[in-house]
Amino acid sequence: MAKIIVVTSGKGGVGKTTSAAAIATGLALRGNKTVVIDFDVGLRNLDLIMGCERRVVYDLVNVIQGEAGLKQALIRDKRTENLHILPASQTRDKDALTLEGVEKVLADLADEFDYIICDSPAGIERGAQLALYFADEAVVVTNPEVSSVRDSDRILGLLSSKSRRAEQNRDPIKEHLLITRYNPNRVDDGDMLNLDDIREILAIDLVGLIPESEAVLRSSNQGVPVIHDDKSDAGQAYADTVSRLMGEDVPLRFQSAQKKGLIARMFGGGGRR
Amino acid sequence: MSLNRDTADIAFTFKGGMLPMTVMELASGDPERIRAQLAGKVSQAPAFFQHTPVVLSVEQIDEPHLALERICAVCRAHKLLPVAVRGGPDPVKQSAWALGLGWFPPQESRPRAVETRAPQTQPAPAEIEAELPVPPAESAGQAGGRIYRGTVRSGQQVSAPEGDLVVIGAVNPGAEVLAAGSVHVYGPLRGRALAGIHGDREAGIFCNDLHAELLSVAGTYKRLEDIDPKMLGCAVQVQLKEDQLRISALT
Repeated sequence: MAKIIVVTSGKGGVGKTTSAAAIATGLALRGNKTVVIDFDVGLRNLDLIMGCERRVVYDLVNVIQGEAGLKQALIRDKRTENLHILPASQTRDKDALTLEGVEKVLADLADEFDYIICDSPAGIERGAQLALYFADEAVVVTNPEVSSVRDSDRILGLLSSKSRRAEQNRDPIKEHLLITRYNPNRVDDGDMLNLDDIREILAIDLVGLIPESEAVLRSSNQGVPVIHDDKSDAGQAYADTVSRLMGEDVPLRFQSAQKKGLIARMFGGGGRR
Repeated sequence: MSLNRDTADIAFTFKGGMLPMTVMELASGDPERIRAQLAGKVSQAPAFFQHTPVVLSVEQIDEPHLALERICAVCRAHKLLPVAVRGGPDPVKQSAWALGLGWFPPQESRPRAVETRAPQTQPAPAEIEAELPVPPAESAGQAGGRIYRGTVRSGQQVSAPEGDLVVIGAVNPGAEVLAAGSVHVYGPLRGRALAGIHGDREAGIFCNDLHAELLSVAGTYKRLEDIDPKMLGCAVQVQLKEDQLRISALT
């Protein structure tokens, strides 16, 4: 039976799609049959991040409305074995999704895959609620910034009340906190919320800490999930995240500022003290 | 929001909701006796009589024909707005509908305090029960309180429409906790806390770690901006004293 993981945040632009792509790729690299679904109908992005935008023929809405079979719509990832993408429709809107339709698609996928990653749209409306409704676990993506923390808090409220698990009184959705765009230097300067403040308010397990990194933007534009860039800090941090999602105990990295070398200290920018 | 909604183009949605409501439990159907007692209550708690919606409960009265219209007029004259009638035989139900009031079936689970109280024969005065802020001793011992365990998250509302609310956990920014009685928060209080929502001026807010966005007791409130910064992060109690919220350390 597949595990359904929703990647969600409430707020837009915090890195949901980047994280969904990296986590799905990481799970597949570790040998799990994985599919990642773009629920952001009307604002299709996942295919770009995954670098498969030229191979999209059918999409999630086509499948739900019976215009295409699931096999036709699934795109096999070229770089990673065991990884499939189910893109969103760019021409429709979120009303094209139905609860029954999503349930059917997930049930069909569950027969074949180990992990189903749902990339949620921003907001707390229909699209986001459908993406999280059937989830077993949730990765709540949060930036070290007050509005993002508040929106994540709101989404956590929905996860515990508006999901199938909540409505059927089953075990609650397992919630994981993923902090992205973390910049320890700016935390030290007081520009960013620090890790402990975020954890204290949201009060859920931390599954990963992704440092702010040039590698993320570069890989997005190249259409290669950043986890493939195993030299980069962000790529390594996502790899750690995937390990933790699979139940391994991995120490936290990248949470404190790196010491600057002598040259950097003499000539480098910053120098606030 | 319903997940099964078809279009975004709708004029309204129906939502289930639990609203705190004052029930006026009538022990007598005599409008004049109700008037006499109401006049006394208004002087005790004028803040309560501000077009407050009430449900007239006639479960204790064994009269097929009530002077419902006159009772409503007496209530309105004292700034109470009857919105519905609870209980009573069929003619009462019909006249409630004729007056544009809703009708609720009698409440069964509630233990009837009626038996001990005299019916119409004895001159027992009608009682306004439920959340009326009459004697403080009574309101402190209100039944129907609620204990909530866990974090109250942004956008969530936890309320105790009767009695006190105890939150074993944090109340996050953007969350709201309300109670007819007092509010007790054992985790950090970062959201809004409203005590005495039906006008109980003796209610208070008690918390271990004050960072509240808003504190209110019986409608008198303080915003985070108005709170003395020295009190932030402290264990405090908030009470209404001379129409002002007083925040003092819990020692």
